[in-house]
Amino acid sequence: MGNILALVQKEVRGYFVSPIAYVLLVFFTLLFGWFYIASLNLMLQLSGGNFGMGGPQVVNVNEFMIRPLFGNTAVILLFLLPMLTMRSYAEEKRSGTIELLLTSPLSDFQIIMGKFLGALALYTLMLALTGIHIAMLFQYGEPEWGPILTGYLGLILMGSSFISIGLAISSMTKNQIVAGVATFAVLLLFWIINWIGDASGSTAQSVLAYLSILEHFDDFSKGVIDTKHLTYYLSFIGLGLFLTAKSMDTARWNG
Amino acid sequence: MVEVQHLTKRYGSFTAVDDLSFQVERGEILGFLGPNGAGKTTTMRILTGYQPASEGSARIGGFDVFEQPIEAKRRTGYLPETPPLYPEMTVFEYLHFVARINDVAPGNRTSQIGAAMERTNITDMTDRYCGKLSKGYRQRVGLAQALLHNPEVLILDEPTAGLDPRQIIETRRLITELAGDHTIILSTHILPEVSQTCQRVVIINRGKVVAVDSPDNLTARLQGSQSLYLKIDTNGVDPVPTLQGIPGVVNVSSADYREGLSGFQVELAPNSDVRREVARTVVTNGWGLLELRAQQMSLEDIFLQLTTEEEPEHEDVPQPGASSPAGYEKPTEERIDG
Ligand SMILES: Nc1ncnc2c1ncn2[C@@H]1O[C@H](COP(=O)(O)OP(=O)(O)OP(=O)(O)O)[C@@H](O)[C@H]1O
Ligand SMILES: [Mg+2]
Repeated sequence: MGNILALVQKEVRGYFVSPIAYVLLVFFTLLFGWFYIASLNLMLQLSGGNFGMGGPQVVNVNEFMIRPLFGNTAVILLFLLPMLTMRSYAEEKRSGTIELLLTSPLSDFQIIMGKFLGALALYTLMLALTGIHIAMLFQYGEPEWGPILTGYLGLILMGSSFISIGLAISSMTKNQIVAGVATFAVLLLFWIINWIGDASGSTAQSVLAYLSILEHFDDFSKGVIDTKHLTYYLSFIGLGLFLTAKSMDTARWNG
Repeated sequence: MVEVQHLTKRYGSFTAVDDLSFQVERGEILGFLGPNGAGKTTTMRILTGYQPASEGSARIGGFDVFEQPIEAKRRTGYLPETPPLYPEMTVFEYLHFVARINDVAPGNRTSQIGAAMERTNITDMTDRYCGKLSKGYRQRVGLAQALLHNPEVLILDEPTAGLDPRQIIETRRLITELAGDHTIILSTHILPEVSQTCQRVVIINRGKVVAVDSPDNLTARLQGSQSLYLKIDTNGVDPVPTLQGIPGVVNVSSADYREGLSGFQVELAPNSDVRREVARTVVTNGWGLLELRAQQMSLEDIFLQLTTEEEPEHEDVPQPGASSPAGYEKPTEERIDG
């Protein structure tokens, strides 16, 4: 346990001494802020300018503001999170520091957890910064707490899925750029996988729709925690971490 | 303390380590000697659990490195060929991280880090970023990392590579000091290193053990075959055919040539001292005899002989005579890249 903590701290430190943490935090906050203002404007138009002016609230803040905002955040993450994980294994393999980890009394599980939780910690910090925007909404209207909390839960689960796949891909290469691009490509595929579903038969379509990574997110931002979606994300995370373990083992054999 | 049995490592159809077996007793220093690509690093990586063997087994302190890797790794300190440093950490932070992942108790961390830094002479670099260190200092921080948690077994892959002459001497002294309560395996291509620090040498070539012995025994073993260095003035006549005609002479090759004077390397059959015959031949031919001395095989020659069996030795191999035993005192050593 202490070992995992040491590894997590090392990872988080690594993010902050390289520009990656700052790039991610700044761009994520900027993009989130931009979507925030855009959806705020939209909502103000819809509410005919009454919103927040003491007039009757005709628009539901959750429905017209927070839900689309979370939806857009999911797409931003698709672009940004590959940057969070691309270095993790690839850089250690390139520089040879992986040799230190693999010859220290650490299990593969501890190494994977260190990397996973380290990335998750930075991601959580990214999300925490958006809390400021959300808090401001409470100044103007009366959004419900429930959907906001479940929305964040959904973002954590979805982001963890992205991270676990990113780790698996990073563990397969020495080149962090390759890792980043490949992770983005795979995530994009899981995003658009249901788009071709429309033309094919209904069972195939529902399977593809089930696989789509964003498809499962919407209910969370509506305030619904459905075990179907929960299972999907948890399996996705499990699969990503399992692939990482497999890849570490394969790399060990191929030396 | 370390037992290696029938260790084999294949990469596809290529065999990097071929049926390697040896043992190292507690407190012993074993030198692992071999040309580039011999399989030294590969063997060490198997011993440290970095990669599994294709066949065979290895045990550290009784623990199989493959079956009980964590237990084996706890007892091992490892300096890889490239010191595994995180550039963004300072030396202290790095060693602190290493202490933590090696389960050094929190109360002992600072003192053990301090001790390791003192032993490797890096106390003045405590707050320097690892990424900003010079090659020699990286090597030393790597060494500090290996001995930080007081492991029973130290596995050092070319520990003196990249160090300045003074540090080479210091590091060798450190290794000799550590040997009492640590068991050490070190690899090198620097031969004097082996004769100075190791009690036993394993010479490997193309993944196979070609000799296991003490440096002294190895030298003695090949003492039988000697060679002579001969410097003569022949006035332009080629003396090689005449010299080769002497019974007991195996081979004659040109060693150097300067201002009409030729130096020759005369190899003799085992246990034959034909210095008198050689001198007589030179004189009867009317040549000027300028120098004639017997040469003992150095560890370097043995190494070359053992690792270059089939090749025509005298064309592409540096002249064994060129490195006299006196060469050992030179601070900068030659490396053999057989
Ligand atoms: N991952 C790998 N895949 C294929 N071949 C490899 C791999 N690693 C090492 N080899 C080969 O195995 C052989 C032994 O390599 P090794 O690094 O053990 O040599 P070495 O004795 O340490 O040499 P050096 O003195 O140059 O450090 C070499 O021929 C090398 O090319
Ligand atoms: Mg090597």
